[in-house]
Amino acid sequence: MESLSEFLNSYFLWRDPMIVGAVTGAICGFLGVYVVLRRIIFVSATLTQISSFGVALSFYLEGLGLAIFSSLIGPFALSLILTVLAAAFYALKRDFTHISREGVIAFGFLLASGGVIILGDRITKGSHDISTILFGSAVVVDPMDVYLIPSVAVLVFIIHFRYYKDFIFVSFDTESAKLFKYPVRRLNTLLLITVALVVAVATRALGALPVFALLALPALSSLYLTEKLNLVFLFSVIIGVLSAVLGYFFSFILSIPTGASIAVCASVFFILAVTWRQIRTSI
Amino acid sequence: MKNLIKLDNVAIGYEKEVFVDSINLSIECNQFWGVLGPNGSGKTTLLKTILNLISPVSGNIVFNNELVFGYVPQNEKFDPIFPISVYELVSMGRYSRVKPGSRISQTDKSLIEKSIESAGISHLKDRTFRSLSGGEKQRALLARAIAGEPNILVLDEPTASVDIKGEAQIMELVKNIQTESELAVLMVSHFLNTVSEFSDHIILVDKDNNIFQAGTKSEVLKKESLDKFFGLNLNLN
Repeated sequence: MESLSEFLNSYFLWRDPMIVGAVTGAICGFLGVYVVLRRIIFVSATLTQISSFGVALSFYLEGLGLAIFSSLIGPFALSLILTVLAAAFYALKRDFTHISREGVIAFGFLLASGGVIILGDRITKGSHDISTILFGSAVVVDPMDVYLIPSVAVLVFIIHFRYYKDFIFVSFDTESAKLFKYPVRRLNTLLLITVALVVAVATRALGALPVFALLALPALSSLYLTEKLNLVFLFSVIIGVLSAVLGYFFSFILSIPTGASIAVCASVFFILAVTWRQIRTSI
Repeated sequence: MKNLIKLDNVAIGYEKEVFVDSINLSIECNQFWGVLGPNGSGKTTLLKTILNLISPVSGNIVFNNELVFGYVPQNEKFDPIFPISVYELVSMGRYSRVKPGSRISQTDKSLIEKSIESAGISHLKDRTFRSLSGGEKQRALLARAIAGEPNILVLDEPTASVDIKGEAQIMELVKNIQTESELAVLMVSHFLNTVSEFSDHIILVDKDNNIFQAGTKSEVLKKESLDKFFGLNLNLN
């Protein structure tokens, strides 16, 4: 177990992962509000798995000696393409004839999860440990991620700032949005593509488990803390940042896996929020 | 009188399944239309066809170029997970005149406030929609519908979740809004008494017996046709 002073002295080690984690916590916390309100938490889980599958597939192809292919379509690009395609599919194809939508979501989740594990077993390069892809890496992030993830976050925030009223409208009352000639399918697709974009970049950097946790738990916690929609977004961003930062901190101090640490921190915030709500309503 | 919507030999239904056909109907300014029919009779399908939310199986619907709908759906359709305030809900009614990607202006905001005031719910504007009673929800939805300055108000079972007193208050409010703003109203209801009291035109629809009858109250509310329609021996006053 490391001491706090050792942690502070190791600033150069955790600075980059902390920046990446905090920004991911903020943007996932924000998008998570839509994910929770639209009751598509398991779409986000499926997208994180598909993103992991893209990363694992890229490493697998690299291991096969397909270097040309690998340089053309790296882990990020392949993950992004597969995740965006899946998001577009879930946004556009809403009605299935013989099975429920949940069934199709579960199918995507299980296929991608199975694929990640099989490919992980076949990846020859030791550095691409499959558990890192799934559960996150503590100490090291790609230097590119320190610029890429904040850039993606800024882009997504700009899109959401411009279309905030429209995304809320189509999420809350699709029928009236259609009546007022709003481009409902295009707005739904754009919303899910922003989720897919963040999932693709964040999963490669942090792993599937923490990204899923940051998409679901901060927003769920915020819904217990306030009855005002704009504050739900604000609290969710704050809890997302705190979960990621504290997750990294405890991971470093206690030498535990980072992804799991972030997920547990987000879960603790959720438990605190539920408890606070219980106390408030019982007074 | 200005024609707002004209249905010409329309068949309603889903995909290839026709519920009711040969529908001819013309809705004009200031008219109050009540739509009556048993459960599953096709009332909501007719409503959604008129709202242009679903396409007719056949026939033509002509909409006036200046037509703006104010729509009051059944309040149970909204997911209570959303912490939407009454003010935010009413704002959405204004979106009929605010393009995607644009923000609401100060003029829009004052019209939203005015709509909230007209519906008598100024004291509720900061409350969440999900926390309101059935009658309060209907008032909030009415405020939302008029915030877009519509020329036709479409109501789907507006008194379904309120008690008798609440029903009377809601209907008085609808009537006042219609009179003040010179709107057309199209209201689906289960209640013959409510429809006959407030409507000047009535539609009877029943897909199981392929019935569609539309006209003025005196043309439609005849004992023989109502007895046949409802399968009851009614006493009309």
